[in-house]
Formats: sequence, C-alpha cells, structure tokens
Amino acid sequence: MGHKDIKKYILQCSVFMMGCFLCLFGYIVYLQVVAAPSLLANPLNTRGNAALSIVRGDILDINGKELATSSQPGQRSYPYGAIAAPVTGYLGEEIGSAGLEDIAGSDLTGQSRQLQMLGPIGQAIQAGRGNNVKLTVDADIQELAYEALGSNKGAVVVLDADTGAIIAMVSKPAIDPAEVESSWKDLQERKDSPLLNRVTQGLYPPGSTIKLLIADAALDEKVTDLNEVFKCTGKLQIGNEYIGESHGAVHGDHVTLEDAVTQSCNVTFGTLAMRMHGKGLENAFERFGFFEPIESEFHESKCHLPQFLKLGDGDTAQVGIGQGETLVTPLRMAMLASAYVNKGKVMVPYLVEEVISPTGLVLRKASPQKWREVTSPQRAGIISSFMENVVENGTGGAAAVPGIRVTGKTGTAENAAGADHGWFIGTAELPKRKIAFCVIVENSGGGGAVAAPIARQIIIALKNR
Amino acid sequence: MRSKSLLLIAVDFLIMFAGLGIIMLGQYPKVDYSPIPWALGAAVLGIAVQLFLIKGRFNDDIWIFPMVLFFSSVGIIMLARLKPILCVPQLRWLIIGMLVMVLVLYFSRQLKNMMQYQYILGICTLVVLCLSLLFGVEIGGSKNWLVLGPFSVQPSEFGKILLVLFLAAFLSDHKDMLKEARKKFLFLDLPPLRFIAPLLVIWGIAILMFVVQRDLGSALLFFCMAVFMTYMGTGSKSYVFIAMCFICLGAVVSYTFFSHVQVRFNIWLDPWQDAVGQAYQVVQSLFAFAAGGVWGTGFTHGHPGLIPEVHTDFIFSAIGEEFGLLGCTVIMMVYVLLFYRGIMVALNCKKELHTLVAAGFSIALFTQAFIIIAGVTKFLPLTGITLPFISYGGSSMVSGFIMIGLLLALSKKERVNGA
Repeated sequence: MGHKDIKKYILQCSVFMMGCFLCLFGYIVYLQVVAAPSLLANPLNTRGNAALSIVRGDILDINGKELATSSQPGQRSYPYGAIAAPVTGYLGEEIGSAGLEDIAGSDLTGQSRQLQMLGPIGQAIQAGRGNNVKLTVDADIQELAYEALGSNKGAVVVLDADTGAIIAMVSKPAIDPAEVESSWKDLQERKDSPLLNRVTQGLYPPGSTIKLLIADAALDEKVTDLNEVFKCTGKLQIGNEYIGESHGAVHGDHVTLEDAVTQSCNVTFGTLAMRMHGKGLENAFERFGFFEPIESEFHESKCHLPQFLKLGDGDTAQVGIGQGETLVTPLRMAMLASAYVNKGKVMVPYLVEEVISPTGLVLRKASPQKWREVTSPQRAGIISSFMENVVENGTGGAAAVPGIRVTGKTGTAENAAGADHGWFIGTAELPKRKIAFCVIVENSGGGGAVAAPIARQIIIALKNR
Repeated sequence: MRSKSLLLIAVDFLIMFAGLGIIMLGQYPKVDYSPIPWALGAAVLGIAVQLFLIKGRFNDDIWIFPMVLFFSSVGIIMLARLKPILCVPQLRWLIIGMLVMVLVLYFSRQLKNMMQYQYILGICTLVVLCLSLLFGVEIGGSKNWLVLGPFSVQPSEFGKILLVLFLAAFLSDHKDMLKEARKKFLFLDLPPLRFIAPLLVIWGIAILMFVVQRDLGSALLFFCMAVFMTYMGTGSKSYVFIAMCFICLGAVVSYTFFSHVQVRFNIWLDPWQDAVGQAYQVVQSLFAFAAGGVWGTGFTHGHPGLIPEVHTDFIFSAIGEEFGLLGCTVIMMVYVLLFYRGIMVALNCKKELHTLVAAGFSIALFTQAFIIIAGVTKFLPLTGITLPFISYGGSSMVSGFIMIGLLLALSKKERVNGA
C-alpha cells in the first residue's frame, strides 16, 4: 500500500468531517433563524430585557404611583422595595429577570421581538426610552396588606371579581428588588424562599377553604341536598384511620350543609368526599380549572392534585377537608372565591392595565376576559350565602365589616413543616365593585384568628376606592 | 504575496484592539487599562512571529498562523467582555503559546526525527493519560486536572498531541502488517491481535476517561481521533466497524451504569424537562443563540452572562448571541479554512509518517471544534471541551500552538535526498 492510498483515505475522512460540519452549520442556521422566535417567546427565557442603552419605562400602580423607575440606562430603583417585589419582580444582568420586569420586559424596553431580531440595525432605530406600564395594583392596598402580615410569612391577593384585575399581590418574606443581584448567592440558599412569589407560586394544602368547592361538587353530583342532616360525633372512622375535628369540637346531631360550612365540620365533608368517590372529586377540580394553567402576566406553579381514581377511602376523605396531597396556590383560592360572588364566572387574573408610550399615548389597554364558567348562578348564590353565614355566625367573624356584605371561609392547613397555616378566602361587595381575596399566614394556627382580620383591614381600606 | 499575509495579522489585531477599545469605552470613567500592555506585547510578538514565518527557514505555510491569531483575538475580546479578570491571563497564555510555537519550529528537525520512536511515544501517551486517571483532581466537574504547585494542567490536552504522534508512527510502520496479515472473521478482515492491541488500549483508555473522569468531551475526541487515524493509515473499514461497535457498547454500558452519563443524554433528548435544573446551561445557551438571531445583539449588548461557565465551554454561545449567525458563520468558516490548510500540508508531505501526523493534527483541531460547537447548540449531547484557541485555558492554548507549530514544521517542503 502506498502513500497515495493514505492521501485518498485522508481526503475521505476530510470530506466526512466537512459533511458533519456542514450539517452542524445548517442546524445553527435553523436555530438562529427558524427556531429563534419560539425560543425567544419561551416563558423560561429571561433575557428579553435590559437593553443597556435604553432607559427602561416605569412600572406604575393604578393611581400612577411609581413602583419601579429608571433615570438612566442600567439604573433601576424600586420606591416600594420589598412591598411590591412580588409584582415588579427583579432584574439583573447576571441573574435574568422575574415578575413584570420579565413579563412586560419588551414593553418596558420598548423593543419588540422583531426589532431585537434586527440586531445592530434595531439598536439604531430604537427609542431612547421604553414604555411605561400601568398596573391594576393599588400600591396603598399593597402596602397595607404587607404591613398587616407583620413578621409572619404568607401571602395576600386581592382581585376585582368582575374583571380579574389584581388589586394587591403580597408575598412575605420579600426582598427589595434593587438588592437581589448583589445578594443573589445568599438568597438562593435561604430556606424561607424570599424570591418566591407565594401568591402564584407558593403551594399550600388548602385546608378547610376547599370545603367551598366540595360543597358545590356535592350539590352538583347530587350526593346530598340542602335539607339532609348530618351527625357529627367529632370523629369520622374510616377503617383504621379517622378524621377528627379541630380542637376536638363536636358539632352535634343536626348539621345541615350550611351548618357544616359555617362550623367547618370535617366529619360532614369527609363523608361527602367519600360519597363522591375519586371520580366525582376529579370532575369538580376539573370544573374549577385546577388542572388548567392560566395564561396571564405572571408565572404560576401548577397545583398539585392527587391521582383521584387511585385514592383509598381515607385519602378521599382527606381531599374533602383539604389535607393530604392536594396543594394549591393562594391565587387559585381567591379565584375560587370570586366565582361565588360573580355568578359562577371566573375571570382571567391580570396585572397590566395600560401600556403608555413616553409621550403619553396609550398603546394597549387591558380587556378583561372570562376564564371559565365554574358553576351555575343558582349554586354560586347558595354557596355565597353559606359564606356570608361563615362571617356572620361562624369561624370568619373577624372579617365582618358593618354595612358591607362580606363572605368568607377560614381554613387551617396542617403541614409537615411546622405549625398550621391559617387561611381566609372570601369576597366583599363594595359600593363600587366586588372583590375576592385570599389571605394565608404561614404557621399561624387557625385562619379565623390571624388571616380574617387582615382581610377586614383590606375591605375597610378599599371601601370607598 | 507572502508579505501580504502581514495584512491579515493586522486585521486580527485590529479586531482585538477594537474589541478592547469598545469595552474600555463602556467602562468609562473607571477604565481598566491592564490588558493594554499585554495586548501590545501580543501584537508585537504576533507580527514578529509572522515575519519569522515569512522568512520561511522552517516552514512554507504562512496562512495558518493568521487564522490562529484570528481565533485568539476573538477569544480575548470575548473574555474581556465576559470575564475581565481572565483577559490578562489569556493574553499571557497567547504570548507563551506563540513562543512555544517558535521553539517547536526552531527545533523542528530534531522533533521530526523523534517522531519515529513509536514505542517511546506510545509509552509517553499512556503515562500522560494515566497520570490524570490516577492523580486527577476535580475542577469544574471533570476529574482531569493535574495540580503542580501553582499550575493546573490538563494532561489530556497534551495527550492529544502524543496520541497523534504515536498512532502516526505506529500505523506508518505497521501498515503492511495491519493491511495484509489478516484473518477473515465473519465479514471482517482482522490482523493478528498483537497488531491491533495498541489501538484497543487507546480505545479502552478513552472509555475509562469517559467513566472515571467524567470527561466526556476528551473521551469522545480521543476516540474519534483514534478512529480517524486508523482509517487514514489503513483504509480498513473493518476497524471503523469494530470501533463503532466498541463505542456503542461503551455508550450502552455507561448509560446503564452511570448516572452522570444518563443525565447528559437525557438533557440532550429533552432539555425542557428540567430546564431550570440540570439542563439550565444548555437551555440558556439555546436562548443565547435565539437572542442573537441573524445579526447578533451587537458586541456587549447581549446577555451571555446568564449562561454558567460561558467563558470556557460555552464561549461559542456568547459569540452566537452577540455576533449572531454572521459571527458564527465567520468563525466556522475560518475553522474550515484552517482544516483545509492543514490537510493541504498533509497532502504535500513526502513521508507517510509526516502525512499522517499533519492530517492527525488538522482533524483533531477540527473535530474538537465540531464536538463543542455541536454540544452547545444541542446538536449532539453536551461534552465539555474547549473551543480551540478561543475558549479560556492555558493547557488548551499551549497544546494548540504546539500542534500548529508541528503542522507548520511539516509544511516545509523537503528535498527528497535531504530528508
């Protein structure tokens, strides 16, 4: 074999490698031209942001108060700091962005994706200042709710039930967005997750607040009616296990469905859940949209639901009282409450009211959208009256405000990590609008004592707004 | 004609100084001037080296060096932008690399003679590779570093050179045996075991690197190099077939038994499943390419900082983001040109040994570029190796320049009687 053959083989290898390289080049062309738009639109992509030579637009609350503002390129300050952090999110060259800084990023920089795709040419024709984004959030209510949580961890969300506009979205602990980048490493390691927006991403067992859904489902599945009388001995025996009442309460021999909601009777709801079986519960959670992600202006954690069809009796009963594997976000519970004051309709929650150009022109205005019809107007009325009773005569008395129809449901969620979480979800019919809210205070014990008073403060503050 | 190549060197350094200038303007008023003296030093040395090459006492190819400097310049401005503290060390390594290259050229005659000692080379290859297997220290997830006092060395970078030299010597010496003393086994033509044994050892070591050191990139590169060299030396498709079986078997076994291999592979199949966890780097890299688009975001206008370790393995993603498809195309085209020049050197060699060495180096550099570019774009599973001459890394820089030095040395046309 001669030298010539070797050269022939070398050429063969070279041609092969060139072929591989050509394929790779073709793939890069595909990646940067064809696949680029969908990759840029990917919700995990945090870099549609922070064009360095642009003064970012302001984030304003509903009354025009500044939540985030910039005076020069690269500079960003957050007048409300940690209070509005779950709403504004943060922004950093090395850490990407979150919250509205992320989601409204292309509005705030005034750069559309198309403009970004043009690269240097796009930079030449871009405006010097991005657009302002006006939110549905009311900074005063946001601040009030933040202060009301005190030193507790927890979350508060207030919605306009008719439109889905988010009036307040508070999560505690939170960090001033201006300090996030400098303390990024420490924040990652902190056990209390200060960067988590607990309203949309915190997953908690719903506790007794889920009874509103169970009551609706039980009526829908016709496993009970408004006249049936349940007996509560304080204990529901299921095989070797049992479900007890909190604080060892016994609700007696004459418990109607309304009483069961008012007193938060675990025995009744455990029984109802077992009557519906996994299938009936699954239908109910499906109907209320717990399986369906919300496409809106925030990142949401998926609710964690058990595999209903595989549940034993004991676990089925646990679903009925909101314990066990079920984990939901506070936002979802506020939306659940909003259905009952809104004739069974749930609106898509949203944050951005208007996008305004630097010259004051309104570029885009929010248009409230119906998310889904979760229950009938009649049943919404029935459950709503139960909830009203909870506030007037039951566990939620601390939320009552004279002259305003307030409805609600307390919850106490046991959790493996420590003391119980206190919930309060409900609605209030204010003179100008109907609101729905959800308050959760971590490790605070019962929801009636700690969470309901926070809701009351919010209702009073919103009364004349 | 030859002196016009200086123009290319000028373009290279123009890129470097323009890039550094942009970064310093960006830093104004607190400008860090520290890279300037080093960059000037590198420029002067680069021009001097090219003049030395043009004189042509030791080489005949004057186009390879400007291409290498092009990569280095791009690498340095990207580093200055991504990891400013590493800019000066990288410039230092560039200078050291160029000096080493000149030394290699100066001693090219002796080195060429040494290329014939195949067994010594074989033993050296084994020792260098085993060194890191036995004494490897883990840095950045791969256990392929040797720590010698203040220096950390990646022996596998130098193992590459020895491997090419050894295989070239072995194959050119035994090609008749490997080719003719064959036995039929099924449809495969096999030589006696003792001739194929060294190849099996090399493949085995590649697999070991794969498993023990978690250095998938080097393992893959070594394996490809061994297969290419064997094919180029013998033209036997049987070897290629055996090698393919070998690597498939190795891949299946390591996938079954080692979780880190599974992780890499699963990330490649579907990075979106764990996009914020283990696949974060690859997903961010894809976003970087998407953000770049055709034109790129413009130098210093992208956000490549979001990709962890962007300055070593993922530097091509940063180029893809800030220079776009245009930049990627230029870089890839220059790699192709470098490869082309390398193969031309190989084809012009008079001795088979030299042909194989030159072709081996060319294909090694080209394959390395291919593997890492394919990795960061998710064309192939990600394997961490450096992008030759662009990524940060002293070992990689110096070993690259040694290869280029030897390649240039082999480009010197020999008079047959004087060889």
